Amino acid sequence: MRFLLWINITFFSCVLVADDFLPQSALSFFENHCFECHQGSEDSIEGNVNLEAKSIDWSKKESTVFWTRIYEVIHSNEMPPKEASSFPATAERLSMLTWLNKSLTNYAPPGGTLPRRLNRVEYENTIRNLFNYSDFKVPPSFPEDDTTNGFDNIASGLVLSPTLLSQYLDIATSIADEVLPEPVPLKSFDSRDFRIKPFQLKTNEGDGAALTNDTYRLVSSRNMASAAGWTSPFEVPVSGVYKIKVQARTFQTDKMFYDKRIKPFRLELYARQNGEQQYEPFGELRALGGFNVTTKEGLSKNYQLESKLFEGEVIGFRWADGPVYSDPGKRDISHSFIDDRLLNDSQFYAAAIKLDGGKRGSSQIEFYESIRELIKSGGLDLENPKLKSPPKVYGGGLFNGPHNWCKAYAYEEMHRFGPALDILNIEISGPDKIIPDQLTQSRLARSDLFLGRSPGAILDISFAENFLRDFLFKAFRKPVSENKIKEYLGIVEKHRLDNPDKRIEDSLHLAVRRAIISPHFLFRGLKSGFLDDWGLASRLSYFLNSSPPDAKLINFAKTGKLSDPIVLESETRRLLKKPQRNNLIKHFTGQWLGTRRLKDIMPDPRLLKFYNIHREAMIDETEMFFEEMITENHTLDKFIDPGFSYRNKNLNNIYGGNLSGTEMQRITFDKGGRSGGLLGLASIMMSTANGVDTHPVHRGVWLLENVLGSPTSPPPPGIPSIAPDTSGSTTMRERMIAHQQDTSCASCHKKIDPLGFVMENYDPVGRWREHYPVYTETASEPLKEEFYSQNGKQTRVGQKIDSSGLLPDGTVLKNVVDLKTYLLTNMNLFTECLVEKLLVYGTGRSLNFGDKRISMKIAKNSLNSNSGFQDLIVDIVLSESFLTR
Amino acid sequence: MQNRVDRRQFLRGLGISLALPMLESFQSPLMHASSGSNSVKRLVAIGTYLGFHQTDFFPDKKGKGYKLPYVLEPLAGNRSEFSILSGLDHRGRNGHEGWKAWLSGSATGSISIDQIVANQVGDNARYASLQVTCGRPPNDARISFTRDGVALPMIGRPSVLYNTLFRSDSDKARIQYILDGNGSVLDDVLEEARAIKKKASWQDKRKINEYLSSVRDVEKKLQKQKSWLDIPFPKTDYTLPSYDPISPDQALHCETIMYDLMALALKTDSTRVLTFLVPGWSQVFEINGRRLSAGYHGLSHHGNEDKKIAEYNLVGREHVKRFANFLQKLKSSNDTEGLSLLDSTAILYGSGMGDANTHDNSNLPTLVAGGGFKHGNHWSHQRGSGNQRLLGDLYLTLMQKFGLNIDSFAGAKNNLNECFS
Repeated sequence: MRFLLWINITFFSCVLVADDFLPQSALSFFENHCFECHQGSEDSIEGNVNLEAKSIDWSKKESTVFWTRIYEVIHSNEMPPKEASSFPATAERLSMLTWLNKSLTNYAPPGGTLPRRLNRVEYENTIRNLFNYSDFKVPPSFPEDDTTNGFDNIASGLVLSPTLLSQYLDIATSIADEVLPEPVPLKSFDSRDFRIKPFQLKTNEGDGAALTNDTYRLVSSRNMASAAGWTSPFEVPVSGVYKIKVQARTFQTDKMFYDKRIKPFRLELYARQNGEQQYEPFGELRALGGFNVTTKEGLSKNYQLESKLFEGEVIGFRWADGPVYSDPGKRDISHSFIDDRLLNDSQFYAAAIKLDGGKRGSSQIEFYESIRELIKSGGLDLENPKLKSPPKVYGGGLFNGPHNWCKAYAYEEMHRFGPALDILNIEISGPDKIIPDQLTQSRLARSDLFLGRSPGAILDISFAENFLRDFLFKAFRKPVSENKIKEYLGIVEKHRLDNPDKRIEDSLHLAVRRAIISPHFLFRGLKSGFLDDWGLASRLSYFLNSSPPDAKLINFAKTGKLSDPIVLESETRRLLKKPQRNNLIKHFTGQWLGTRRLKDIMPDPRLLKFYNIHREAMIDETEMFFEEMITENHTLDKFIDPGFSYRNKNLNNIYGGNLSGTEMQRITFDKGGRSGGLLGLASIMMSTANGVDTHPVHRGVWLLENVLGSPTSPPPPGIPSIAPDTSGSTTMRERMIAHQQDTSCASCHKKIDPLGFVMENYDPVGRWREHYPVYTETASEPLKEEFYSQNGKQTRVGQKIDSSGLLPDGTVLKNVVDLKTYLLTNMNLFTECLVEKLLVYGTGRSLNFGDKRISMKIAKNSLNSNSGFQDLIVDIVLSESFLTR
Repeated sequence: MQNRVDRRQFLRGLGISLALPMLESFQSPLMHASSGSNSVKRLVAIGTYLGFHQTDFFPDKKGKGYKLPYVLEPLAGNRSEFSILSGLDHRGRNGHEGWKAWLSGSATGSISIDQIVANQVGDNARYASLQVTCGRPPNDARISFTRDGVALPMIGRPSVLYNTLFRSDSDKARIQYILDGNGSVLDDVLEEARAIKKKASWQDKRKINEYLSSVRDVEKKLQKQKSWLDIPFPKTDYTLPSYDPISPDQALHCETIMYDLMALALKTDSTRVLTFLVPGWSQVFEINGRRLSAGYHGLSHHGNEDKKIAEYNLVGREHVKRFANFLQKLKSSNDTEGLSLLDSTAILYGSGMGDANTHDNSNLPTLVAGGGFKHGNHWSHQRGSGNQRLLGDLYLTLMQKFGLNIDSFAGAKNNLNECFS
């Protein structure tokens, strides 16, 4: 056993001792305080716990469980009970605990993860993988997983409730319907003509409009759903091939602001499901084709195309090459148009400035007319320096920015004077041919892919057996016994007996449904003890990828080589080489560093304008930083002081700086400063605040738990939290000092508060600040709309921040840079913490005494060899803790 | 593309996860699950997404002698059948996000009042509750939340609601197949789990027991669904249009149909709990043959401009008109036990949006109808009036009328019983 031997040398520290004799102090502790209830024969003792022992046999698994429990009840003061006749003195209790702690740490074997249910992410990935169903998503009604020990993949927290099981059951049916659909006969439908008058074309608002009953005028836009005319109430009655005839003409006048066009106008047609998303850009819709509409004056012509249309679809019309539109990626067209407009039509811009966006909710027509009115009445300030440097902001709300001013104005102008495209009549006739609907088609394709069936092939019963053999192996992620295969085959055979005229696919339906609600599918780690190659393949793959093992891992498991440490190391490095940012990085940092929380925090508009793009950039920065730590195998001190980060221009308003472009870029900065790393990432600062103000206790507790690895107990019940003083007359520090003077509070707050104070220079979104803000309007009143339009203006500079702190060991910290230095000189703290987090995440259990011993060893080894982060992950995978269920 | 759900898919998805109704001629064994001696048996909650102009929704005067405000004028024929309550809200968040809190009192999605009531009375009908909207709700808004905080999806297509209530034989055969299949696979996996349990350590056994007890629980639910399936679906001569009017500009048409179907759902006792989110986007409505000057959402941000408010109110009145028709329908029908449908159905009508113009969610438009309660008053509980109350107080009263023994909800601890007795 080369494998065991190797492990022994590195992290196998525990020698299984059969006779660990209890010291006299423990014997007398039990005798004096416990035997009253916990001594004697099985049936007469309390809770079936007999403490009459001379020695502990650590080679027995039960010993660890038993003595851990004893440690816990004494530690939590649950035992001996307060009413016990002889209650131990504090010193006696402590010495008992010290002995137990030491023994357990020395002798307890690691392991003990319970059978681990796939969590939501793992379940989704596993289904996608098993069924070749890459776009599978659980329905919105799927319950969230609980978080235990900081993560949502911990076996004890992954409870299986009846609600969840009925979801699994429903999903099993819908997946079986997707991959093994019943044949759907074509519908029958009589072909007919549908006439749509222009006034029946519907739009939401703004850009397109019916002028009279005879004409519908299109101007160009990117947003099909709200801009184009849609043919509702015509909804395609049955999927088929239809002819679409459109009578159209161009509209241009001498009065228009734009150059006359000679080139034909492009009219394009799209289809979408009725009632789908309101604001889809046309690029995401199904294009049906289009026409070139002649610019010959006043000439209306009929244009016709033939197209497949699917049941429930409506048809939209768009002028594709008009002057005002902005495709994603081609936005500059619209921007340069606007820049032109603002530069060359100073009257317009001056009027727009004077109008100041107009009244809220102004329609396009009102806005246009107000501007014309202002231009007509004259007296505009054409000397305004703003006119020389038009803004290039992409507008926010309807009339908040020049972009939208221009668009609304230009659309209306085009409606009145051209250029525009008129639609006079629409005729849809058909279906000439009936076709399967989209769902049937996509299911059929999915089914071919899943079964490995060539289109149209007919399957027989011999297929079923082979299929089930492969499928169950893949579903259960381990070899499946012949008996089990027979059981599943029995389902198929029975269905065939009852339904002789159905296909093999229909008979497999039920077998597939059973497999994916089976405990063998929903759980991993059903066997305790050392992981076999299959158990190891799953644990490794879900750890690094939140997904079932890939073909390479399966091959190594098949040949029994995966547990070979050399193979295991190279497989770990392979999986880390191209880390799937969606999985280990996303889910581990999402929980360890709290980036998942960001979506629930809406920063106070009194502080700054904050949109999703800022949030996304913050998360990207954190994930890309973490990614480089892995791929470049950086040493762990770089977590604290990396000298690099990834940012884009959206982070300028957080960090300062003048980056351009929305692509994330690697930036470097001098080490030793406050920038970068876990104490400088905006995402962490934001997730440890609430969007409105910061709280030193929250950040202090976060640092203790996630960076220093020294979590404190939760506060005793009934302690109110300290709320920040919004008037700005006292600082958080002043209010917390009083709090620290209470000795029962002080024991923990001496550890928490200084760390929190040091971080006070970061505001609720992670911007650096020297002073507290004072909000000039209180948030207890409803935030009025006006409020949002003046983002960031409702604060004034308040008290100066005192970011100094005194650590319990006497270290004086002036600011966050000092804390970084402290962490770098005490790298053992962070290293131990990180190892524990990864081990918990990887094994799915809270670490027991044996695991803690191993975790310390791994950390020590990493410190001594100053190894990189990737090496550390390898060490974790090779550790006895990881290799034991 | 993966999010597209067609009618058929929707039908199947829904058919298997919901319990199933009964007919006047059938007496279900589940019927006597009892909800106390109260005459109120059903709850309907209807919320209008873009709210109402408060000054045209709430009367000037308190008590009985108030003049019916403009927006509520369509309810003139029902004055003695409803009460208006002003000054109520959850003291919660502002903005459209506040919708989560409308029925639950909490912005994070804890159980909503309709689901609490459904847990109490749901077993008496085929569907424990139904959630309805028109088309796809704006911002994917949700108003109903289960005990686990799961947001319940809404039916937005009239044809889907129709097929849910009046299933065809082929739908029924399909549901039967699914339910039977579920029954047999549950039996099988129970065996698989038992085999695993046999070899498991005592700690593992507890985990496997979680699985076993969940399977047994779901099997029980399945039995109930099966027994409902044995009871024939009701028949109707109601006809739908040939297409689903779910594009935003046809929302008022869709609203009319959904009210018709909701009345049918109650009449056939297909469900006892309904929620209806009446949505609003930026569609430009045509009302009384006149095209409004701006989109509905734009009108809701009227900036206190008279012309805009007038048009916003026109839309509001259209909603109320449809609601008044719904009340009329319930009033003229009896339920399966011969009680007036209106008297046995408590109806909450209003909005989770207080003042849409400023996104201010205080003083939510609120009206309670039916339920056999004493009605006809305008109750004012304005903030700072010394008589201030919470919307949760009203919910406590409603829940207590269903025989529920609940005395606090979303921070509210006092009921509003005095308003209805």
